[in-house]
Amino acid sequence: MSDCECLRFTDKNFNQEVLQSDLPVFVDFWGSWCPPCKTVEPIMDELAKHFDGKVKVGKLNVDQNPATRSLFNISGAPTFILFKDGQALERIVGARSKKQLVLFIEKTLESQQPE
Amino acid sequence: MHNAKCTCWNCPAIDLAGKVDFRACGQSGKQFDKTLDSTQETHIMAECKRRPELGLYDPMAITFQECPQWQETPYGYILKDMRVMILGIDGYLGWTLALWLGSLGCKVSGVDNYNRRNWVKERGAHTIVPISRMNQRLRAAKEILDIDIDFRQIDIYTQRERLKEFIDEVKPESIIHYAENPSPAFSMIDVEHAIEVQKNNVLGTLALLFTIRDTVPESALLKLGTMGEYGTPLTGRPLFEGIFPAEAILQWGGREWSLGGELTPRDPVSFYHVSKVQDTFNVYEACKYWWLRSFDIMQGVIFGVHTDQVAADPRLRTRLDIDEWFGTIINRFVAQAVIGIPLTLYGLGKQIRGFIALRDAMECMTRLICAPPEPGQYAVVNQISGIHSARQLAYTVAKIGREYFNLPVQIQRVENPRVEADEHPFEALYEKLPKRYGFKPKVTIDEEITRMFELFLTPEVKKRIEERKQVIMPKTWWSGVKKEVERLELLDLKGEIEEDERLRMFKVHR
Ligand SMILES: NC(=O)c1ccc[n+]([C@@H]2O[C@H](COP(=O)([O-])OP(=O)(O)OC[C@H]3O[C@@H](n4cnc5c(N)ncnc54)[C@H](O)[C@@H]3O)[C@@H](O)[C@H]2O)c1
Repeated sequence: MSDCECLRFTDKNFNQEVLQSDLPVFVDFWGSWCPPCKTVEPIMDELAKHFDGKVKVGKLNVDQNPATRSLFNISGAPTFILFKDGQALERIVGARSKKQLVLFIEKTLESQQPE
Repeated sequence: MHNAKCTCWNCPAIDLAGKVDFRACGQSGKQFDKTLDSTQETHIMAECKRRPELGLYDPMAITFQECPQWQETPYGYILKDMRVMILGIDGYLGWTLALWLGSLGCKVSGVDNYNRRNWVKERGAHTIVPISRMNQRLRAAKEILDIDIDFRQIDIYTQRERLKEFIDEVKPESIIHYAENPSPAFSMIDVEHAIEVQKNNVLGTLALLFTIRDTVPESALLKLGTMGEYGTPLTGRPLFEGIFPAEAILQWGGREWSLGGELTPRDPVSFYHVSKVQDTFNVYEACKYWWLRSFDIMQGVIFGVHTDQVAADPRLRTRLDIDEWFGTIINRFVAQAVIGIPLTLYGLGKQIRGFIALRDAMECMTRLICAPPEPGQYAVVNQISGIHSARQLAYTVAKIGREYFNLPVQIQRVENPRVEADEHPFEALYEKLPKRYGFKPKVTIDEEITRMFELFLTPEVKKRIEERKQVIMPKTWWSGVKKEVERLELLDLKGEIEEDERLRMFKVHR
């Protein structure tokens, strides 16, 4: 089902929506056969609300969009990558709680700040 | 409609043949990527078996709401003339569902080998609601409800080739798997019965999974599990819907991990329940290895006799058993009340379980048939509509029996032949069916119990209960002992029923 607050990225819009984005983008690379991915679904929607206006939050189905999957060497699902200015800053693999993901995003962005 | 936004990705009419990449969560997709054409925007292009004129297209592009093959019903959009195969179609739930789905316009086919009729006969018991032979059932379904059912007598475990041929011929879009032995006590009689149950259930299901892989991998499998797989952990931790949510955290040695996506622990309470746990793992694996799609339905204890279809004619009735092996608690209590046997609580009688009425269970199944899982998705729901203790149910039956039917109902505590906690916390989650699939229970316990009294008090049914009253009291002990349980106490009902009223105000329900 595609009822979701977070964005949906595809091979087609990835460049525009993620790599060219002015805001940092947090992407969940997921598969429908992956139970941990399914448990993260509601959290992605909450993150979209939580970071509204600060970080774009969205997900990409690795089976429907294999070009992007291949480009970023996704070998496990779910893989989360935080992008900024067209660069993949940091990634983690496997389900996480909302708190853990918020922390991951905030820490990664912080470490990018100039001293 | 809960399934309006599902797309062809969910639809069993999709043909993904050869375009999928079977792998586990941590397994590289690299090997597959070699064939990648980077100019292609959507790699998985599909064809529709129902609308070949679409050619190759993006399966995410069309929703159920938009597709003319999916039509509106009160339970969600459903495929026009959807081909549904019910395994175990002669059983309590299978027969009821066949008529229910037939009335909704599904093309129903079904398989049974009459195991249940034979097991019940072997125990010297019988269904108290008389049921017809299969050929009469089929004729009555046609005559009264205008439903055609394509039935084959097949044992899904020993006659695998025949089942495969039948599935290949029908090409079901949804397969409902009820064809198992459903009895905890039957599996505890002796080694022969334990083996019979595990062999029939575990190996029958395993064989079915291979058959689905080889014939109709896009079909959705709705396989019945039971809430009893979880047991009743004394810590009182919630019984999640089969899989831990990502917010469930394991803390150990100063570190923490999300358990999201892992199967929750199982603590089965009989060799029957062990067979269901093993089924769960086999289905889970098959979804992983072969991208099968399945709902694993952790069903609570079903009670009741009514749907509009089974009540339409005596020849359409579904079976109802009250013996110690096949009689489930509420059904058994009402039968005891009708013939003046004090309702039997095992041990303290404070065991708590999840329950759902027959009609409501049919609605849940339909809603899930309407929302097939995605490719490879192993999804779990807890299918219950309320939580009650054995005592609470006994009081309810006693109260209704006394007040509305003028029966002198009594309640007794007897020795507990099972090995189980008879006082324990219980917090089961059952949010997915209401929240994702739009289910709201329609039948209250009081209403269905009243209906059961009405039916059981008809002379024919009452006579059939009397005829088999000697098989109600348990003689099957989990320890292996063979003796009838002894009475521990006859309860003073007056005070207890008042207490029950307070309990009800309070609601054990979540
Ligand atoms: N009734 C309940 O309260 C309840 C609760 C939880 C789960 N369940 C599960 O629901 C399912 C159906 O339950 P039910 O109450 O309708 O039981 P049932 O015994 O009335 O129905 C099962 C049917 O499957 C048939 N069957 C068994 N083995 C077979 C085989 N090898 N090949 C072909 N047919 C076979 C039986 O003959 C029977 O008609 C079971 O899996 C049970 O474990 C039932």
